Amino acid sequence: MREVTFLEAIRLAMWEEMERDPNVFMIGEDIGRMGGAFGVTAGFMEHFGADRVIDAPISETAIIAVCVGAAATGKRGIAEMQFIDFISYGFDQVVNVAGTFLYRSGGKTPIPIVVRGPSGGYVGGSLYHSQQFEAWFFHTPGVKVVQPAFPDDAYGLMKASIRDNNPVVFYEHKYLYRRVKGAIPDPSEDYIVKLGEARVRRYGDDITVVTYGAMVHFALEAAQRLEKEGVSLEVIDLRTVKPLDMETILKSLEKTSKLLIVYEAPKTGGVGAEIAARIAEHSFELLDAPIKRVAAKDAFVPFAEPLEKFVLPSVDDIVFAARELAAY
Amino acid sequence: MSRVRTGRKNGRQAVAYHERLTKSDLQKIYRNLWFARVFDEALYDAKKKGRLRRGNVYGSRGQEAIIVGTTYPLEDGDFVSPIHRDMPVFILRGMTTEEVMCQVWGKAEAPTRGKDSWSHMGDISKGIVHSTSMLGSTIAVACGVLWSLRLDGKRDRVLVAYTGEGATATGPFHEGLNFAAVHKLPLIVVVENNQYAYSTPVELEVPTKTVAERAKGYGIPGYSIDGNDFIEVYNTMCAALEHARAGKGPVLIECVTYRLQGHADHDETRARQYRPVEEIEMWEKRDPLPRFRQYLLSTGQFTESELPEPPPDVVEEIQRAIEYAISRPDPEPHTALEDIYDESAGVSK
Repeated sequence: MREVTFLEAIRLAMWEEMERDPNVFMIGEDIGRMGGAFGVTAGFMEHFGADRVIDAPISETAIIAVCVGAAATGKRGIAEMQFIDFISYGFDQVVNVAGTFLYRSGGKTPIPIVVRGPSGGYVGGSLYHSQQFEAWFFHTPGVKVVQPAFPDDAYGLMKASIRDNNPVVFYEHKYLYRRVKGAIPDPSEDYIVKLGEARVRRYGDDITVVTYGAMVHFALEAAQRLEKEGVSLEVIDLRTVKPLDMETILKSLEKTSKLLIVYEAPKTGGVGAEIAARIAEHSFELLDAPIKRVAAKDAFVPFAEPLEKFVLPSVDDIVFAARELAAY
Repeated sequence: MSRVRTGRKNGRQAVAYHERLTKSDLQKIYRNLWFARVFDEALYDAKKKGRLRRGNVYGSRGQEAIIVGTTYPLEDGDFVSPIHRDMPVFILRGMTTEEVMCQVWGKAEAPTRGKDSWSHMGDISKGIVHSTSMLGSTIAVACGVLWSLRLDGKRDRVLVAYTGEGATATGPFHEGLNFAAVHKLPLIVVVENNQYAYSTPVELEVPTKTVAERAKGYGIPGYSIDGNDFIEVYNTMCAALEHARAGKGPVLIECVTYRLQGHADHDETRARQYRPVEEIEMWEKRDPLPRFRQYLLSTGQFTESELPEPPPDVVEEIQRAIEYAISRPDPEPHTALEDIYDESAGVSK
């Protein structure tokens, strides 16, 4: 086992996959000579060469398209969005080109690509360096969406995403990059976390909290605080937002009968809305209380600290919502 | 802007690659030009008669010299990425006429299994890359295919990406060509400047006198040529292939032509309203087929009777493929949910 940061876990996963498979390459802005804006790809170009670590012009469409075209002909490209917000420029490539390729090739041409980049708020990044628009791709057929919260998952999920035969959008919460540390397995273990499997990060009896990304850490902190009040939270880290692991959610709900969904994205139309809808539609009998959601307000992520704090969900928000559910 | 002086009016050709073509080559080219014409006519006819009941027919009438002139000099291992007016390219690069007709009719055995329509198909094993309706995106995706070939050490294999003059106004066109030029990828962009993007005339799509001038911005050669003259298209393509195979980077070829029909078969009436009829009639006189036939006769290698209009075996091949497609089964409804994800890698639950 190795003790590493969240960032280092992602870095090592990509490094080891590039060592393992000569078909894996990466492309992005400033990823080669500089090693990436956050240093996730530091040392890659020196080691793997400029043909496998491509310093691209500021062209998100081309960056993703290069991965798509290469994937159609047997390669596995990793596209870095310097900030995942910039994926909006490459939206057509993800949704209309990569997402549809297998379908319109009659199942013959899978597109194994990973589009990855730093996401999320809480760092004063303002409008274009803070977003969590995973719902865009959650809504898109043919595309998978991953968002880990811990180094071991980030490591195992990145490896699985690179080996997966489908386009994967991989959200790396920048708040976690250097704040979160943990042990990851040694390369010899060939550790993989399968896409589509949630993980219970804390067992509890009273309320099921379903969340992912940085919000997992918020939920765990809320659970600690509520423990002292005698309220027991079970915290489920989805890890993969799509495919969505409903099984793990349902298993927990059978025990707790109360559901709190926490996500950092704008509340309306978010991933949590779909989870709530599925439970209400198919598993209404399991519930002893209305479903609650804690999410960002339906706004942009603003710059000034009081504004950002007002928009994004907090540990307090989770604690208050859980108290209400516990009292119901 | 650089130009290839291939026009016969200019006297000696700068590089007359076409002089290397044998009689057998010329016969094949003649047949291919007619194949493209008959393909188009047969599908318009099938649509009119109600034998083809679904989807649009996007015609290539008048653009046959581009289709044949850009594909004939290609070699094994080269790639193409055709768009909606290049349907014969799929066949000229190795797909069967039956496969393509099954695609047009949305049949179960079509390359897309009936999932997508018309030209949104491909076959990577034959070097044919699938396009989408967002035409500029083909140029950007082409860079990835070429990067893959670079990683495999096949730096002399090219990709010919077709697009329209309208699509040169898109972002992906720019990002793709810019990337290809920065990295000297062997990309040949064939712009079929048929004067109209649906109803919008070229002067509202492109601010320069020619589309080829866009090449200046990428530091690459740009040719503006008569797209209705097979010889000129062929010679320019050969020059572009030499340039690209030598590792000198991309080439932009603007083939000036005209869309003799509407945007698609549903557009025939309006296309004679948003365009001057005199203009259409003027371009009818520049039909690439009689021009090439005239050229063949002028070489003294062919007699009139060797050049039937159309060659009967072409008509027969296309009709047979149409009948085949019509006779084949439709896809089963449940297959609509197949091929959305590929789980064969086994790293998903």
